[in-house]
Amino acid sequence: MVKSLNADKPYTQFITEQLAGDELYFNAKPESRNPDHLVATGYFRAGIYEYNNRDVRGQWQRILEDITDTSADVFLGVGLQCARCHDHKFDPLLQKDYYRFQAFFAPLLPREDLVVATPAEQAAHAEKLAKWEAATAAIRAELDKLLAQPRKNAEASAFEKFIEDLRVDLRTPVAERTPYQHQVAELAYRQVTYELDRVDSRLKGEAKERVIALRKKLTEFDSLKPASLPPFFGATDVGPVAPVTYLTKGRDKEPIGPGHLSVLDPKNVQVAALPNSTGRRSELARWLATPENPLTARVMVNRLWQWHFGRGLAANSSDFGKLGEKPSHPELLDWLAATFVEQGWSLKAMHRLMVTSATYRQASATPHTALRAPNSEDPENRLLSYFPIRRLEAEQIRDAVLAVTGQLKLEPAGGPSTDQLTPRRSVYGKWLRNAPDPILNVFDLAEPFQSVPQRNVTTTPPQALLLLNSQMMLRHARAFAKRLEEEHPSSDEDMVNAAYRLAFGRAPRASEREAALQFLKAQQQLLGSKGATASTRGFAAEKMPYRDGVAAVIAPDMGGDALAVLDSPSFPTGDFTIEANILARTVDKTAAVRTIAAKWSGENQKPGWGFALTGDSSRRKPRTLVLQIIGVKQDGSFGEEAIFSDQVLTLAKPYAVAASVKLATASAPGEVVFYVKDLSNDDEPLSIAKVPHKVTGGFANPLALSLGGRSGKGGGFDGMIDDVRLSTGALKQEDLLLGAEAQPTETTVGLWQFESKPSAFKDASKHGNDIVPKPTGAKAAATTRVNAMADFCHVLLNANEFIYVD
Amino acid sequence: MGKYGCNQVDWAVSRRDFLTKTGAGFGAVALSSLLAEHSLSAAPATLGVAPLAPKPGHYPAKAKSVIFLFMEGGPSHLDTFDPKAALRKQAGKSLPPSFTKGLITAMGEYDSPIFPDKREWKQWGQSGLWISDWCKHVAEAADDIAVLRSCWANGIVHSNGVCQMNTGSILAGRPSLGAWVSYGLGTLNQNLPAFVTMQDNNGTVVNGPRNWGAGFMPAVYQGTRILPGSEPIANLNTPEGVSEEQQRGKLDFLSAVNRQHATARPQQTELDARIAAYELAFRMQAEAPDAVDLSKETAATKKLYGMDDPVAAPFGRMCLLARRLIERGVRFVQLYSGAGSKWDAHSGIEKNHGDRFQETDQPIAGLLKDLKSRGLLDSTLVIWGGEFGRTPMSEKGNGRDHNPTGFTMWMAGGGVKGGQVIGATDEFGLHAVEDRLHVHDLHATILHLLGINHENLVYSYKGRPERATMNEGEIYRKITG
Repeated sequence: MVKSLNADKPYTQFITEQLAGDELYFNAKPESRNPDHLVATGYFRAGIYEYNNRDVRGQWQRILEDITDTSADVFLGVGLQCARCHDHKFDPLLQKDYYRFQAFFAPLLPREDLVVATPAEQAAHAEKLAKWEAATAAIRAELDKLLAQPRKNAEASAFEKFIEDLRVDLRTPVAERTPYQHQVAELAYRQVTYELDRVDSRLKGEAKERVIALRKKLTEFDSLKPASLPPFFGATDVGPVAPVTYLTKGRDKEPIGPGHLSVLDPKNVQVAALPNSTGRRSELARWLATPENPLTARVMVNRLWQWHFGRGLAANSSDFGKLGEKPSHPELLDWLAATFVEQGWSLKAMHRLMVTSATYRQASATPHTALRAPNSEDPENRLLSYFPIRRLEAEQIRDAVLAVTGQLKLEPAGGPSTDQLTPRRSVYGKWLRNAPDPILNVFDLAEPFQSVPQRNVTTTPPQALLLLNSQMMLRHARAFAKRLEEEHPSSDEDMVNAAYRLAFGRAPRASEREAALQFLKAQQQLLGSKGATASTRGFAAEKMPYRDGVAAVIAPDMGGDALAVLDSPSFPTGDFTIEANILARTVDKTAAVRTIAAKWSGENQKPGWGFALTGDSSRRKPRTLVLQIIGVKQDGSFGEEAIFSDQVLTLAKPYAVAASVKLATASAPGEVVFYVKDLSNDDEPLSIAKVPHKVTGGFANPLALSLGGRSGKGGGFDGMIDDVRLSTGALKQEDLLLGAEAQPTETTVGLWQFESKPSAFKDASKHGNDIVPKPTGAKAAATTRVNAMADFCHVLLNANEFIYVD
Repeated sequence: MGKYGCNQVDWAVSRRDFLTKTGAGFGAVALSSLLAEHSLSAAPATLGVAPLAPKPGHYPAKAKSVIFLFMEGGPSHLDTFDPKAALRKQAGKSLPPSFTKGLITAMGEYDSPIFPDKREWKQWGQSGLWISDWCKHVAEAADDIAVLRSCWANGIVHSNGVCQMNTGSILAGRPSLGAWVSYGLGTLNQNLPAFVTMQDNNGTVVNGPRNWGAGFMPAVYQGTRILPGSEPIANLNTPEGVSEEQQRGKLDFLSAVNRQHATARPQQTELDARIAAYELAFRMQAEAPDAVDLSKETAATKKLYGMDDPVAAPFGRMCLLARRLIERGVRFVQLYSGAGSKWDAHSGIEKNHGDRFQETDQPIAGLLKDLKSRGLLDSTLVIWGGEFGRTPMSEKGNGRDHNPTGFTMWMAGGGVKGGQVIGATDEFGLHAVEDRLHVHDLHATILHLLGINHENLVYSYKGRPERATMNEGEIYRKITG
């Protein structure tokens, strides 16, 4: 999308690719097919899909309705969904029109099995893959054999959850299915695939060990394996024959074919089918892209106007027609639409036209205050006699904070989206619909469930509280101060000047500079008398998605002593349990682990233990939990035992994890029980892995307990850690937190929650094993001067001049 | 559809229009416009001067405020308020096919055997309502409770069900009922949020915060989570490591910077509103901690709410907080029990529901008694229920699957006539059959008790008149007797 807009594709071409990219792609000769065309069909996949909804037909109809409603909103600028149930006397949009429009989309089939690559790329990939397949044939055959029955069982139990006629659809051979039957069966089969993907968890005993060993062995051939082709998430038609679309009237329903809005074009549309597609969406795109179409160009130029001026010439930008407000400047709207077509549907030409206009270049601060008076002729400024002052939108506020404070990373532009902590532009951020980013949410981010033509703009106390009191904004303010100090070390005055230029885009006036310097002096005095301040904190605190409160944000380079708890006689020397909520952003590329908690230096001949996540090239699976214990074994020898849970974690997802450690005795093996609970999805069952081991004890040491790292170098975590609880004894499942409200109990020797109250470093257990905050090296050794500067920066980031443009 | 169908278009009045008409300058509306929607945002989202200022309803209200006790995960009606002799008589058999035809359940328990309840049932109060031993404390208030046995909904799975019970739609994107009430009635205390939610554990309520979201309406109407601990509202406290003097210094400097900026831009009320929002934030800092400070409550009151029992204490605390918030003028309080679908008894319903009722029965009974003795029950509507009920068929031999086609909720206070049973399910409790009450009907009835006619409460969005009940729903008037 970003690429298309930046390349200034003609808007008509853009529409055609969005709506019918697959038909463009397959209609072209194989050697001239453009994979970008397939990518564009991802448009059809942005709606809601519920992975466990057994009402599959109902779900498919709602997916179609979402595509119908959104497409009408976006491309026609018409609220067609009003007509889904019945006609309205006051509106020319008919219920018939709704289903005629839906019939364009009714043949769709969501696809993930196609490849987005040029023929040459595909051939190269296939060639390499064949070699890998040949080399691994035996391993894969054995795997298939071991997994055959568990797969059958998983499929059978998934089938049973559907009603009988859906089971019939699923069992009907693909070639014999009607188009609609195939659509529904494919959608239902996703729920079967979901179970099949988890088939390893159905394994037990020897078979499980063998599968793990085989999977590990497979990875030895990774050097032969070609890099996967880019994943595809799009759609095609189900075939050349469309399923029937029905128009329901009360109890009756009649078949209906594709067609445009009756008020514009009452004819039935005849579409010639393509070899594997109905061609309906290409016809829709063709109709939208005709210069004579009265809506397409007007709707788009009106949106551009809205983005530049805060409101469209027609205020309801997705609801043209009788129910929308009449345009304030109808002739201008017509002229802009005509110019758009003349300029070859170039969006950039229209942007240029608008932002170089005299209207756009007006200031907001007009000396003619009478224009603003409530009793003036145009109190709402619909006629734009001055530029309307505008608050930045949610993403702009986040991006501006990152840019001004020097944290924003502009490269790579594009590529996979990243989590909310990565300082990239918000447009590249991952959107978790049920766990919105706090800063975006509080500043009126639209709920990402449907197309929203215009954001709300509210001014609320939670915004003020977030900008002023959140640890996140304090961290941004410190980054800003650090940037100023690095770039303008000579004097406070230079730093103030630079801060104004960065945050407000202008130099401070003499009086402002004076006030700023005075403020710095006063804050320095306050800070000087107070000693330690927030700036000496060894870590940043952020909200973990799906969780309350804050978690510690840990980076691998913080060092193992950033969050250290001094050795204490209360720490267990026998059975113990370690629990935490974690969100891993990355794991190590090598076999090295990333530590959640450890009482260990990392040297495998020194006693200790570490609870960690394995790296990408681990001996076992990557991203699995591992408990390393270095102590005395059953046979009396001393050494390391690495106990793997084989529960693979997904990056950027919050989990509650636990390892309950029962030590071995001379006669009986010990056991570690690992627990993993996905905190983002309550429906995902708790995963439990019981692993035997031989360590009997002897792992005690005088080292500090490190959270998110180890004593000494290496092994640092990357991501968030919260609610770390260390207990004596091997706790049973019912005594574990597993995401519940963290409470200390009698067996708790440490519970660290990183909440600002009573203190981020406080241990909630009765033992008082508090974290010893340690300013890490010269970098973190904050001076009073820098702290005062951070306060100044924090104020600028809260100022109206930063949040508003005029 | 009623006489105000979806063709009734309500043109909201913009803030500028209001200012124009009243001729009021900024000074007159300074504080009342704190939360105001900016008029920049064009026609679809224009609001009056102070969106949360108290507004009169469409007619005199029975209830001033709502406490919605949401048992998340779906509590069984068959083991609590809707006894069915057929379950024991036909235990182990399959339901007749006429009952399950066309039925879709979450886990496919279509022909599983009928699972008998194991409860002791008794008739309670003057009215003689049948209530099981799981709810023996709440049962003492039987004569204040109207049991709605004929509720039904569309969502088969939790995400759909919880979304619909909150917003009317099984799909995300619409405002929650609390948001509609805040929009329609405003709030009686500007220093506290109008719409508050709490939950009994740190888990995630299915769908997360969008359950109390404002959907397409401005965020000012959305629910605010009250958190346990010393910081009841997110970011309410001065952050750790920042002294009060340091914070004061920053605020004074910020205020100076903003004033200077505003001076050069006279009559830009947006800027003034933002300055004032900071002041309101600080009034909230003063009032919110006091509202949630339970140290002023007597030991007897705490005991009434079950707070002396460690199992019942968390929900008891929430119920007591709910009363304190209602007393202070908060309009809509929603309490989640079992946050994270913990009422979802697919297996082991005896232990699951047994535990949940031990956590909630005494606290809820205490809430009803306390409200009544303080004379607050008449003006407070208390609602109990989940997103759906549970099937008569067993799942895994000792649990029950989701049942949205017939389930029970109850209401008390706020004008509701107690001691009555409304509607009925079929002989197995699978489908609602008499006086069927869809979620939209429940919402219409709740709004009615608050003095709002659901057909007349309209928010204009994308040129469409939007209503809380999606142009459907009928008021169940017999609820008031």
